[in-house]
Amino acid sequence: MKAPPLDIRKARVSAEFKHPSQLFRAKFSPCGKTIAAIGVDTAVHLWNIEDKTEKSFQAHKTWVSSICFSPAGNELYTADYHGVIHCWNYLARTGSKPRWSIPAADRNNVRALAVSGNGKFLFSAGDEGVVRTWDAANGKLLKELKGHTECIFSLAVHPDGEALVSGDLLGSIRRWEIPSWEEAGELDARVLHTRKDNFIADVGGVRSLAFSPDGKLLAAGGFRDAKSNAFCPGTPAVLVFDWSKGTSRSELRLKAKSDGPINGLCFLEDSTLAGYGEHLHSATELSFWDPAKQAPVHSLSGQSAYDLDLHPDGRRLLAPVYVSGGTSGNGARKRHREKYSPNETVLRIYDLFAETKKPEPVK
Amino acid sequence: MAAQNNPQTCLDPVHEMSRRRVLGVLGGLAGFGSLLNPSVSRALEKKEKQVCLIWLDGGISQYESWHPRPGTRFAGPFRSIPTRVPGVHFSELMQHTARIADKISVIRTMETKDPNHSTGVPRIQRGDPIDRGVLYPYLGSAVSKLLGPADPALPPYIWIKPGNGGFIHREAGFLGARHGALALGDGRPPVHIHRPSGISAENDTARNALRKKANERFRANRGAAEIDAYETSYEMAERLMARKEIFDESTLSQKDKERYGSHPLGRHILQARQLLEAGVRFIKVNSYHWDTHGDNFNMSQRLVPQVDRPFAALVEDLDERGMLDNVLVVVMSEFGRTPNVNSRMGRDHWPDCWSLALAGCGIRQGAIIGETAKDGAWVDGTGYDIGDLFHTIFTVLGIDSKRARYEHKGQKLAIAHDKCKSIREVML
Repeated sequence: MKAPPLDIRKARVSAEFKHPSQLFRAKFSPCGKTIAAIGVDTAVHLWNIEDKTEKSFQAHKTWVSSICFSPAGNELYTADYHGVIHCWNYLARTGSKPRWSIPAADRNNVRALAVSGNGKFLFSAGDEGVVRTWDAANGKLLKELKGHTECIFSLAVHPDGEALVSGDLLGSIRRWEIPSWEEAGELDARVLHTRKDNFIADVGGVRSLAFSPDGKLLAAGGFRDAKSNAFCPGTPAVLVFDWSKGTSRSELRLKAKSDGPINGLCFLEDSTLAGYGEHLHSATELSFWDPAKQAPVHSLSGQSAYDLDLHPDGRRLLAPVYVSGGTSGNGARKRHREKYSPNETVLRIYDLFAETKKPEPVK
Repeated sequence: MAAQNNPQTCLDPVHEMSRRRVLGVLGGLAGFGSLLNPSVSRALEKKEKQVCLIWLDGGISQYESWHPRPGTRFAGPFRSIPTRVPGVHFSELMQHTARIADKISVIRTMETKDPNHSTGVPRIQRGDPIDRGVLYPYLGSAVSKLLGPADPALPPYIWIKPGNGGFIHREAGFLGARHGALALGDGRPPVHIHRPSGISAENDTARNALRKKANERFRANRGAAEIDAYETSYEMAERLMARKEIFDESTLSQKDKERYGSHPLGRHILQARQLLEAGVRFIKVNSYHWDTHGDNFNMSQRLVPQVDRPFAALVEDLDERGMLDNVLVVVMSEFGRTPNVNSRMGRDHWPDCWSLALAGCGIRQGAIIGETAKDGAWVDGTGYDIGDLFHTIFTVLGIDSKRARYEHKGQKLAIAHDKCKSIREVML
């Protein structure tokens, strides 16, 4: 069946999956029928989009921090704050065990995972500032890519399959050639990092990376000009780079008031860029940009979200959106003890095309 | 704030600026004083009680430090690690402190009332006493008043803090400026503690006499508080000129500098050790920006180790030097952080159930005080107010907190909240 024309101005929520705790990463499976999400509990949660049934996998011992599907096959990779990676068959029944695991892929948090376009290589990166290349079939370590001097937040594989990029806390984006694993240069995203004399920690970093479908553009999300290392409030920003030249082309901003990083970024097939913001205790937005223009061409208001993924059909986006449990904010809340509960998530699917009207029933 | 108690106090900002300038300039003229042997402090010889308060301004998360509660719905992502106390776990971000947990006590059930910084910080540092219409002193000023200087040649209350220094008399509340804090901005000693070579000792004495005379004249037309502040500043400067070696960083070993850490809090806690050894009665070490409403987990990963290393090093060093019996070390904030994680992956303010640590000076070793709900969110059983902590601190310092009274304008005032009491479980 022919896909409907892409029309971001008609974007709307078409499905929701509620979850009673916070989830901060969510991805569509390559078959497009499943979504997988992870967050502040130890489970990997999966939903069938069509019948809305849910299942989960358990093996992690702490928060699960990153997730990606293999583009070829039925592998789902997840990683956690203790440096563990598990490989799952995402089609398996609930409660299934991992196919294989890597017990120490990083000293601490594995903050990013990616898989090469041919499905052969799994990449991980995190607190150690090292990109590790693994055999995606069995988890065997193939190569360590060193060069970053701080923790790595994000990874992305170029559509031609011949390059990998990694972005770190200091705003350094490094290019790595596949499969020679040579470092092929550095892109300057230092504006996404803030260090001030009165800070006691560095703030920001390259929180998200995405290539345009034609591979000509690389977008890096985060926030700039942080005002403190406590609230970590800053100005959400996306830097768009010309990939062939390695130079910055434009800087994109949200329209709505927001104060956190842009963790979710993805390009649509027409090179429109979509990104989602964070905002403390307030709404922010899902924005769509012409990558050459700073202001969004279209936005949808919503609570904070921490990831954004494009469906294989190119017509749907997925975002894990924060939902207040009703008892958020400062204490003292002793009198609300019985009602006090964790904040929640709604996994929201946005259709990016005009809604087709159902034909009137024949009378 | 002191002006509320003394309408005659001059609030002219010009005078305030003059005070600072005068402290700097005239302080430099006061000359060398007595030739005390700096290697053996009077306080140590006399086993005087001393205090080091490590204040993490904004609120350290109890889940990412003292009370990780792994496997529960509000736990963070970091590992829970065993400590030297069997069955007791801290966050992995406290790995150095975990190794000395058998030398400290942790209270996990602080239950206070104020969820705001602006009111909460003074309320906590004043011990939140019953309101009697007066401005109570901060803890350092209270100890300065109640015990006096441990060494008469040194200021009783030194505050090491980021940013600017100076003499902070407002911390003394109704006790008067004399009991304010000498603040070392960024740990720097007060300016001009060396008498300029071009000024002779005779000229220096003459200038000081002139200053004192001018102050007397100034005092005749104004309230005493500001003059007290000026004079206390000068007296402190004079005393410190005689003991300037206590600020000499060259006496600190490279190994110690590495053990405490090169970040400001590490350097300042090492400096606090130096000042405790010298005999300063009360030292407050401040670190700001712990208010992690945003990015709590990335920030905690970087902030908590900044207190973990130097706190553990300080307790070890005091113990090795035989000082831990008489020096009380406290690590705390104005509250903890929420069990819930907010929309910016931060934790908000949580006075309902939070943790702090104490060591030395009659504090039990290896004790974990207080029962919380399984998820760590609430106190189950006995919660402790800040007034209870003040009674405890005064008691281990040898002050009868239930009977001792301040005298202010003929009024006898309790030194800690009348309805609170010492936390017996935390004391030997």
